[in-house]
Amino acid sequence: MSLAFLVPLFLLGLAGITVPILVHLTRRQRRNVVTFPSLMFLERIPFQEQRRRRIQHWLLLALRSLALALLALAFARPFFDRSALSLGAAAGPREVVVLLDQSYSMEIGNQFTRALIEAREIFDGLGPLDRASLVVFGQGARVVTRSTGDRLRLNSALDTLGVSSSGTRFGPALKVAQTVLEESELPTGEVYLLSDFQRIGWTGNEGVYLPAGAKVIPIKFSEDPPDNIQVTDVDLIRHAVSGRERITPTARIARNGGVDAREVNVSLELDGQEIQTRTITLDADGAASVTFQPFTLSQPHTRGTIRVPADELTADDVRNFVVSPGTALSLLVIDGSGGSTDASLYLRRALEISDDGRFRLIHRRTNNVRAEDLDGTDAVIINDARIDGGSAERLRNFVQAGGGLLLVLGENSGWPASAQDLLPGTAGEPRDRLQGRGGRLGHLEYGHPVFEPFSGPRSGDFTGARFFRARSFVLSDSAIVLARFDDGSVAFAEKGYGLGTVLVWTSTLDSFWNDLALQPVYLPFVHRVSEYIGGRTEALAWFTIGQVLNLADPGALESAGLVSTESAELSDSTDLVALTPSGRSMEFPSDDGPKYLALDESGFYTVRPPGSEPERPFVIAVNVELEESNLTTIDPEELIAQVMSPTPDPETASGLVQTTELQMEDQERRQALWRWMLITAFGLLAAETFMSNWVSRRAVGATLTAT
Amino acid sequence: MGVARASHSGARFLDPAVLARISNLELLARTVVDGFLNGLHRSPYLGFSLEFAEHRQYMPGDDIRRIDWKLFGRSDRHYIKLFEADTNANFSVLLDVSASMSYGSHEVSKLDYARYLTACLTFFSNRQRDRVGLVTFDHDIVEYVPPSMKHMDTILHLLHRASAGRAGSLREPLVKITELLGRKGIVVIISDFYEHPDEILSSISLLRGRGHDVIVFHVLDPAELSFPFEDSSSFEDLETREQIPVIPNRLRDDYKRLVSEHVESVEHRLAENRIDYVLLDTSKPLDLALFQYLLARERWTRKR
Repeated sequence: MSLAFLVPLFLLGLAGITVPILVHLTRRQRRNVVTFPSLMFLERIPFQEQRRRRIQHWLLLALRSLALALLALAFARPFFDRSALSLGAAAGPREVVVLLDQSYSMEIGNQFTRALIEAREIFDGLGPLDRASLVVFGQGARVVTRSTGDRLRLNSALDTLGVSSSGTRFGPALKVAQTVLEESELPTGEVYLLSDFQRIGWTGNEGVYLPAGAKVIPIKFSEDPPDNIQVTDVDLIRHAVSGRERITPTARIARNGGVDAREVNVSLELDGQEIQTRTITLDADGAASVTFQPFTLSQPHTRGTIRVPADELTADDVRNFVVSPGTALSLLVIDGSGGSTDASLYLRRALEISDDGRFRLIHRRTNNVRAEDLDGTDAVIINDARIDGGSAERLRNFVQAGGGLLLVLGENSGWPASAQDLLPGTAGEPRDRLQGRGGRLGHLEYGHPVFEPFSGPRSGDFTGARFFRARSFVLSDSAIVLARFDDGSVAFAEKGYGLGTVLVWTSTLDSFWNDLALQPVYLPFVHRVSEYIGGRTEALAWFTIGQVLNLADPGALESAGLVSTESAELSDSTDLVALTPSGRSMEFPSDDGPKYLALDESGFYTVRPPGSEPERPFVIAVNVELEESNLTTIDPEELIAQVMSPTPDPETASGLVQTTELQMEDQERRQALWRWMLITAFGLLAAETFMSNWVSRRAVGATLTAT
Repeated sequence: MGVARASHSGARFLDPAVLARISNLELLARTVVDGFLNGLHRSPYLGFSLEFAEHRQYMPGDDIRRIDWKLFGRSDRHYIKLFEADTNANFSVLLDVSASMSYGSHEVSKLDYARYLTACLTFFSNRQRDRVGLVTFDHDIVEYVPPSMKHMDTILHLLHRASAGRAGSLREPLVKITELLGRKGIVVIISDFYEHPDEILSSISLLRGRGHDVIVFHVLDPAELSFPFEDSSSFEDLETREQIPVIPNRLRDDYKRLVSEHVESVEHRLAENRIDYVLLDTSKPLDLALFQYLLARERWTRKR
């Protein structure tokens, strides 16, 4: 509680205190002039000694000065600003919020245990009317106990807490504290922030502003940065050897801190069994890669772990992954029947080049395509061929059921009008681009999955390809354009049909109408297009803490690495149980709603039907966020300053100021200290009058007596 | 002893506070002189000249040795012989009328006291048939009445209207007066002497060097001697109008010490040059001054 003034300009009146002093020092001397024959002797006595003791009536001076000071203070309209209550002072009951950092970096040096002790001391120090909330936070924040005065409950809640696998973010926790304090009716708010204050936990733009008058008390647990070794990444390279898939894991190991180089054993575990161990030498603050011998991947949902010896920060000492054998896409390539040359030579050669045998090709000409060729086929590529009405209908059914179709237009292309709605548009006559050096691809839709891998710098250059001829193409309403030539005409278009996808490339994929097939980008482009129409999605080897997986979404499950619902015994109609790495069980009933699984523990999650033990259950690997291993700290005061001093919105600043002034005026009116000050000042002036008269009378009497 | 006796016998005529009520200076002088002389056992008219002047009836206090016994045998009455022992001497009073002389902490200012003294001494000397003169001065000569048997009334008139106003000094007026007083005589200097002792001596010694018999009356108000002030005040110099803040309680001892040193220094230096010095307190009766004057006259007469 501090003294404030509504009209501080009147404090300038305090300068009036000098008036009585000057009166004492000057006017009094002029009024009591004594004539004397000569000052010859008086002047020989040191002058300074006379001046120093000229003020005789100190009490009078004090009365006059105090009265003037009180008058000035009264006009300045003083009041005690209760909105700026000092939270440390015992000014009424407190609303205490304890924010406890639960991120995995708190395990270093028993910081979390010490934080629990601190929190317990805070709860023990609560007054009888105080209330407290316990909030734990990592990436997110969770209210363990909300605004209670029950110390036993608060301390019991502390007993259940442990270090999580999460990273650090202060924003959500402070937001919770803000909410608790705003909802509280207690006059004083205190927020205890118990953390190791990692800089990565605060972006500085969290939009959290604690209520006015609230106080943040940081309690920092700091340890010297340990010699921390972490597995930062794992690269799983697939190879097809003798029809079997082999994987070569390469792990990247980094070391933070340390002094001298040291040897580190890095081990590879598969399904819980240690398979290989490699020893590498790491310099201080160094990094190294370790490549293990390839292993044959035969079983789906194989769990793998790269592990380094445990140090003070154990959460980043392992890197989990899940891999399953890849399945080759089955592609049917259809050529024209009358061509004397092999129009699909470049295309077939490109699709056959892959280490892991991801494509299985079936090559047919239009005159010998059989109906059963579409069975088991993921996608069909029609390369410069004329399609009759019956084939088109079969393809329509194929696409509608989820198959993919790529129609490459060339010299011999033809499509029946009866199936025109299957295509993204209508193909016209060939158009030559013989002027100059031919046409180029002018626009690519890099946001599309086909071109997304080429979006980065030095990730593939399509501008080097020259296009000398292409068929004109008129888009239908539901089509989207993936690429255009530099003259704006359509080069690549897409249309969704049923569950499948139809793509049309308006030039050839050989070297007849363009030289794209001679460009480096040709092979990845063909692979990407084939995977896209074949519906292949790259399964994630692992998730990171904080991600959420919808178990009711087949696409999400496929992305998560589910390759066989049969072997995992998962079906849409069954209930699901998810076992967390710590052994906790979460049930998901078989209703129509989403089944969100929050991945908040590091390790392997197992998803299976309740009561069953599948041979190869669906497993999800989860790893910690490596940012948390960055132990660079932030100054708590810097964080608090951003939380406590918001930058007012210019549009609302005037309103805020007005509100503040209204509050101040209201406080001043209620307290009305100026009245008491005026009364006191008048009382002092009356006393001064009485006393000065008395002093004057005494002085006159003394003079008369002297004469 | 003489002083004490005089104080008892003629105190009511010599108290300055009483004299202040007498506006006629001649009457004042006569009253003082007669009252003073009547209190003495030995007549001040005692002269040492052999030149007979006249007989006068014996008055109590006259020296019985001066009774003319032969005349007593013839007339059966007591007469005493009067001789023109001190007659025809030049008697000049140098009266300081500078502003500082106007100061008075009671009814009688220093200038009043000096005027009474001047009137008395002049009257007394005139009775002894001296030629009496008067010079008033501040930093220059203000009025000058040359010594003469007939100037008594003029002197009293000038004394009556003498007033203090300007700043004063000794050196310049005394140099001029020395030139004016050509014939040797008796010179009485009445002042408050706010000058350095060396300056005072050097100024007065001019007169002494011309053969004058000099007697100095240093007139000071009792407030100048005791510094009885209590309240802190601004003290203003009557001559220079300069003001300084003064805390009397703090300065009193220093002031009195300085004044005492000044008086002693002046008296000592004048005595070394055979100049009579008398310190007068204006609250005290005039008999001390008169008595001292008579003693000086007697000494000078004997010397001659």
